[in-house]
Amino acid sequence: MTGPVRVYSRPDLENASLIVGWLEDVGKVGPRVIEYLKTHISAKMFCEIEPEKFFPLDGVAVIDDVAQFPMSKFFVGGEDGLALFESNQPLNERYKFLNDVLDVGQYYCKIKELYTIGGIISPIAHTSPRRLLSVFNQSEFHDQLRGFELEDMAWEGSPAINSFLLWAAQQRNIPGLSLWPEVTFYLAAVGDPKAAKSALSFFNRRFDLGLDFTALDSEIEAQDDKLATLRRENPEIDKYMRTLEVGLSLNEDEQLKLAQGVAEFLEKDRT
Amino acid sequence: MAIKLYKELKLESPDMVCGWPGIGRIGIVAADYLRRVISAEEVGEIEPWDFFEPRKVAIQDGLLKELEFPSNKFYYQRFGSKDLLLFIGEEQPAQGIGLYAVGEKAYRMANLVLDVAEKFGVRRIYTSGAAVAQIHHSLKPKVWAVPNNEDMLDEMRGLKNIFLMSQIEGRQGQSAITGLNGLLLGVAKKRNMEAVCLMGEIPYYLQASPWPYTKASISVLEALANILGLEIDLMPLEEMARKMDSGIDTFLNNLYVAEAIPEQIRNKIRESIERLKLDNESLGPITEEDQKRIMEQIDEFFKRGESGSDRAS
Repeated sequence: MTGPVRVYSRPDLENASLIVGWLEDVGKVGPRVIEYLKTHISAKMFCEIEPEKFFPLDGVAVIDDVAQFPMSKFFVGGEDGLALFESNQPLNERYKFLNDVLDVGQYYCKIKELYTIGGIISPIAHTSPRRLLSVFNQSEFHDQLRGFELEDMAWEGSPAINSFLLWAAQQRNIPGLSLWPEVTFYLAAVGDPKAAKSALSFFNRRFDLGLDFTALDSEIEAQDDKLATLRRENPEIDKYMRTLEVGLSLNEDEQLKLAQGVAEFLEKDRT
Repeated sequence: MAIKLYKELKLESPDMVCGWPGIGRIGIVAADYLRRVISAEEVGEIEPWDFFEPRKVAIQDGLLKELEFPSNKFYYQRFGSKDLLLFIGEEQPAQGIGLYAVGEKAYRMANLVLDVAEKFGVRRIYTSGAAVAQIHHSLKPKVWAVPNNEDMLDEMRGLKNIFLMSQIEGRQGQSAITGLNGLLLGVAKKRNMEAVCLMGEIPYYLQASPWPYTKASISVLEALANILGLEIDLMPLEEMARKMDSGIDTFLNNLYVAEAIPEQIRNKIRESIERLKLDNESLGPITEEDQKRIMEQIDEFFKRGESGSDRAS
């Protein structure tokens, strides 16, 4: 391996699947999905990538009053062996970092498949269903997963870290799939639990996990209730949401007002 | 590279207070004063040669007698019903010419300190440093607290003269802590250990000063005493702080009449600093540009003062 990897125990896995989520994610989808899976399959941490080569260690950032620190941890759990990787996105030596992720996946989990999760911003209302967009790194794998209600993604531009990882897996002939659940743009900063549920529903079906969605459904319901209150209290916000619900678009100024209004309301409610 | 512990200790959930040099020497003065006032015993050290350059050599009769490195020592004392460990480093493991811990060495140092903390079952780690603020030196510095874990927020919120980042005007709960103070918090978080950094406010116009800002160290010690339930006699430090205040007044009065600085800028500096005495938020903060300009002039004034001292000696 190219970087410092600290292994606490050797999992007994054969042909596992590795699911990767990044802590910095649109709509907090990646961390929400990984945390949910960790809890519901009783996953245990077995390994971590040490941060010194991949993150600037000149102190710490403080967010919401609390000191932060980069983390890159592997977990295993579940009856059939599911490996999870939860991490901050590396800022240095990204290629080395991603190869360390795959090294751990191959050497310790003997992975046969790789999945990445990342939210994608969409100009839809929060009341709309979330599509699950997908990118595969092998056409055979794409064919294999037809019928899972995935929509093919098309994009040309700067690659996200998930695409970089998917490519690195392709070089090693590891079948990979990047899942991109749609995130309502005005929930991108505060969190979109519906988007997380769309990815979790895929994993539930793919791995027959029997996930209990009660907690997530309650969270979705609570957020919907709060947004309904906001609509009642603020006619302008309601108008913008209605516009999106009938399939029309908002101009930049309206989008900004809606996103700020929602973020401020949900933040005020949280504190 | 090794940790050397001179004796085995059996401790009951000790807390650990760490101090290093930084802006205004606030953290190290606080930690070192605590060490002296509780008569803490030296119990170990981190061997320094992998982290620091030697700073002094003793040669006698053509023989090298001693090469001195900055020390990094652990101390212990039972104080009241509390076991307390201290770690005091005379320098931060920096890279190049920097003063503050950064990079791989700093990360290794933070891990070594925490190895010792884990070995003794430390309950919580306290680091301390400076919070550069728009405060006048005649006012009592507040203490900004940054814990590494949400569970500590409520505890910190209720303490006298301690403020979370979200309670500091214009911060919205966000900030950054550089150097070993921040890094130790982060590495402790990685190891699921509780840690909190207590930062005493220092006036922005003194951040480059070579003098220790004792008043902020006092605020940090009061905060620590409050959290740990200790009684600490701060009289000697308070006396030192009074002398410092007087020295700072003299320095500023000299600055306000320094002919080397154009009158218009001198007046601006005086106005910007003196208005801070009012501690009135309605005055609003000075602009970053003004603050930068003032700092440039004060830095220059400090440098002139230092070179003057060299000549006098």
